[in-house]
Amino acid sequence: MQAKRLNPARRFLAIRGMASAMIAFVALIVIYIVFGLREPNVFSSANIQNLLRSMSKYLIIGIGQSYLLITGNIDLSLGSVVGMSAMISATLMTHGTNPLVAALISLVCCLMIGFINGVLVGKAQLPPFIATLGTMFVARGIAYMINGNRNTDAIASGIGKEAGDSFQNVFYYGKTLGVYNTFLVALAVFAVFFFLLSKTRTGRHIYAIGSNMDAAKLSGVSVFATTTKAYMVSAFCSFMVGLILCAQAGMGNMEAGNMYEMYAVAAGVIGGISPLGGTGLLLGTLAGAAVWQTLENGLNMIGAQVGLQRIVIGVIVVFSVLLDVVVRRGTRKRNK
Amino acid sequence: MKKTLAILCALCLCLSVFAASAETVKASQPWKIALITMDSIDQHWVKLNEGAQAKATELGVEVTFMSPNTKDDAQQIECVNNAVAGGYNAIMVAANGPDAISSALKEAQAAGVKIVYVDSPANVPAEATFSTDNQAAGKTAGETMIAALTAANITEGSIGIVNVNAATDSTVKREAGFRSAFEGTKFTLLETQYGEGDAAKSQTIAENYITQGVVGIFGCNEGSTTGTGNAIKASGKAIIGVGFDKSDAILGLIQDGYLLATMAQNPDVMGSMGVEACVKALEGENLGGAVTDTGVSVLTK
Repeated sequence: MQAKRLNPARRFLAIRGMASAMIAFVALIVIYIVFGLREPNVFSSANIQNLLRSMSKYLIIGIGQSYLLITGNIDLSLGSVVGMSAMISATLMTHGTNPLVAALISLVCCLMIGFINGVLVGKAQLPPFIATLGTMFVARGIAYMINGNRNTDAIASGIGKEAGDSFQNVFYYGKTLGVYNTFLVALAVFAVFFFLLSKTRTGRHIYAIGSNMDAAKLSGVSVFATTTKAYMVSAFCSFMVGLILCAQAGMGNMEAGNMYEMYAVAAGVIGGISPLGGTGLLLGTLAGAAVWQTLENGLNMIGAQVGLQRIVIGVIVVFSVLLDVVVRRGTRKRNK
Repeated sequence: MKKTLAILCALCLCLSVFAASAETVKASQPWKIALITMDSIDQHWVKLNEGAQAKATELGVEVTFMSPNTKDDAQQIECVNNAVAGGYNAIMVAANGPDAISSALKEAQAAGVKIVYVDSPANVPAEATFSTDNQAAGKTAGETMIAALTAANITEGSIGIVNVNAATDSTVKREAGFRSAFEGTKFTLLETQYGEGDAAKSQTIAENYITQGVVGIFGCNEGSTTGTGNAIKASGKAIIGVGFDKSDAILGLIQDGYLLATMAQNPDVMGSMGVEACVKALEGENLGGAVTDTGVSVLTK
């Protein structure tokens, strides 16, 4: 209520989660400039294009995981569903199925995993960490079994060279208006789920069950329906990233999306999505995914050791959560 | 908090910058070459990088080791994209999946980057390839195992194979060569198991083979071989273990008698010749996509 009397800038920052998102953007700029000073090619337009394309997958899975984090849950099956999506789509395509049909079948399978997660967590009240740990193994198992425990051949071998090339172009190698399609796909996914989260009743319910489950229940929010919707958003995001990885490699890889569930948590958390539920903006996830990719890209480009990459990212994740905890503690004190 | 975070990021990055600073450039043409192997952990790739770095210093060019942290097609493609975006003149690559990386390499070539294969080629024509003839080397491994089994008066029984995955061309060929050596013998070759090149996973696989009562196990790469050797060591049984690649751990296992032999490649030669080829190609020489076998030697106790 106080926000009404503040000037526009402060009112903007008073939006819950906005401050954390902005911090992530500032961190992004700092990181980018530091790398650029060391390796000028970081600033080249070719590298900016490359960065946007590479961050797309983290942005999309980050959105999926953010939905769950905001409801106070987690989706550990996310990375395995990415692999499942890539393997189902690629296997069908190597058997000559039209890419669109292949993608649709894959989408249905992925959404089923999302639905099962929703039932297990929302209805059966299983702890989300355990329920999705189970579906994580199941989905990865399916990814292995789809093509008989083997990666697929090149997708172009089944649907033909032309269809294979166009599939790869649509999701990875092609550009529209000078921007890689992958990034445009990610932006579209972002726009849809940004709208869903911030402008619809479903979105408000997602925040509601994350910030206070009991209060939400008492106000008539269906925990089952809302949780299931969030898990299905996550499954949809995994499905999209599966298609991107399939297009990138031009084949299905059984290990595709390995560890992505954790990268997704990191992207969300760096962007100020609270792992305790109830707060966070997808704008933050956008910044978080960009921070992550800029680090990976920059450290790789200067030839830094892999171990160092992991350490830097680990430290940043911990600091982001620490920030969230400190901010929450501060708010609580002020409210008293 | 905001400041702390920013300062911390900056600090970490500065540290990394110091850690990564490599060599001074002294030649007239300081070409930038990216070396992208399958991962950056196996000693095989570390040795390859050492060979490449030594040659780079000699020729006055810059080689950056830009490998993914695990054997992952998507990550390796990102590394290729990063090298292209980073303005590298040439890329030396060991393809993890020959199909998967091809589109990315074509994109690199379209951007004017020269490609040279080391260890494992992809499906795109490149300037040159420096690799081990994996099929021949695999056959040598098989023959080595048969000789040892015959010497121990074993003429039948089952043999396990620990491979990396079904997509890595080099190890798939080694397995094919190994299998071909057993044609016409009474030994049964079991279904191949995949350990992702991870020593722990490979050890579990090898232990399962031992439980099944195998007389020999073949490891198709460094991690697979280490896992196999450790499993044989733990079982205490006289199983003939033959492997691939050279590392301190593997040499130790051979010294202690748990592994019979390993097929040692010459990754440093690959690295060194690869850099040379990159420079030649960048200076306009046509190498015609020649494939050079860098050889293999059988290391025993």
